[in-house]
Amino acid sequence: MTVARVATRPAGHRSVPLLHEPDLGHYDEFRRFLAVTFGLDADPFGPPGVLTVDGRAYELVFTGRSGRPFPAGVEVHALVEGLEPLDVEQADRDLFELAAWLVDGVGAPWSVDALEQTSRIFAIPARP
Amino acid sequence: MITSIDALPAGVAARYPYRSRWITTNGWRMHYVDEGPRDAPPVLLLHGNPTWGYLWRDTIPPLLAAGLRVVVPDQIGFGLSEKPHLASAHTLDNHAANLVALLDGLDLERVVFACHDWGGPTGLAALLTRPARAAAVAVMSTWAWRSPSAEFHHRVMPWRTMHAPVLGPYLLGRQAAMPGRGVYLSTVDRQRYEHDGRAAYEAVLSDPDERRLTWLWPRSIPLGLASDIAAERFAWLEAGVPRLHLPATVIWGREDDVFDVDTFAAMWHQWWPHAEGTHLVTGRHFLQEDSGAAIGAILADFALRSTTTGGTR
Repeated sequence: MTVARVATRPAGHRSVPLLHEPDLGHYDEFRRFLAVTFGLDADPFGPPGVLTVDGRAYELVFTGRSGRPFPAGVEVHALVEGLEPLDVEQADRDLFELAAWLVDGVGAPWSVDALEQTSRIFAIPARP
Repeated sequence: MITSIDALPAGVAARYPYRSRWITTNGWRMHYVDEGPRDAPPVLLLHGNPTWGYLWRDTIPPLLAAGLRVVVPDQIGFGLSEKPHLASAHTLDNHAANLVALLDGLDLERVVFACHDWGGPTGLAALLTRPARAAAVAVMSTWAWRSPSAEFHHRVMPWRTMHAPVLGPYLLGRQAAMPGRGVYLSTVDRQRYEHDGRAAYEAVLSDPDERRLTWLWPRSIPLGLASDIAAERFAWLEAGVPRLHLPATVIWGREDDVFDVDTFAAMWHQWWPHAEGTHLVTGRHFLQEDSGAAIGAILADFALRSTTTGGTR
């Protein structure tokens, strides 16, 4: 599957929250990667971070917390057209791809291989 | 959300045939079991991640048969207790303070603390805060220090990947890696666990938001990294716990490959040279799943001697 960054949020789609990470800075390289990728140091309140997985859109909503570097956290939302129901199993498979995109971007010691092995050991239902 | 024993799946409730009780600790609803004579010394059974009081189901009967009182709380965020969604509810300090509130709320005295996993750092922090309530302490597959840390906890694959930013709420939250498969991997008799254990751990963590503490608690394990968020409290434990002069016993799983016996049980004996044990039983990290009754027999003998004869030293 292909993860791509897109510039605009698709019209006519609603946000379905999938997960919330309150502490991106727990391992700060994750926070830095997202800050650089989405230009958050220069413009923290700019356009939303939108990614697609094989054309299906997901929005990264960055959140702040007083006393911590921005972004302190991130919500990942599925962008679902109109009032159509969320395909939960597809969304979880796409989240795996987004997780792989994230660790690949953050780089060593984090890796897609470690994510895949971990997912096999723990029998993650949505693993490829 | 299941909040009482009688609302559990029938097979699970049958293996945990006790009355649900609740107490408010720091504003949160804590579920606990309290069995045995009110005037008997209480044995306080403290679980960790991702379990709940059910972990002690086979340990409780030998303690009751010995005439002891048994108090088994579900830590806030687990089991049948309230599961706050705000991450800031789940600091080590807050969880330790919840146990202090339990000790005070039930006015427990002559307590024998039995600590497993996060029941160690939280329970021992509560004990240090209320030392006059303590009679003795037992530890099993737990720790209360910054170093040595478990080699397993330093590994990127699988441990740190499991709870890294975004990966934690995905793998442990949405995908529920811990209560089912995670416990399964850390038991010896996995067939028995599948039959008697798995449903109980999964039933009480059925929704992603309920599983928040399964990925937040690992982040409080000190690893000597910039990410350490509880190092100060662990330093406080290091200063206080070795100075405890309570009767103590060390019980460990022979097959424990998370907190290996040669490093972690040995550290407890270094801190408490007077401690009994190490009593080795069949078991990995969740040793109660394999040897709950044997642990109960060891604890009953230890608790009776520690609370009726003035201790073992």
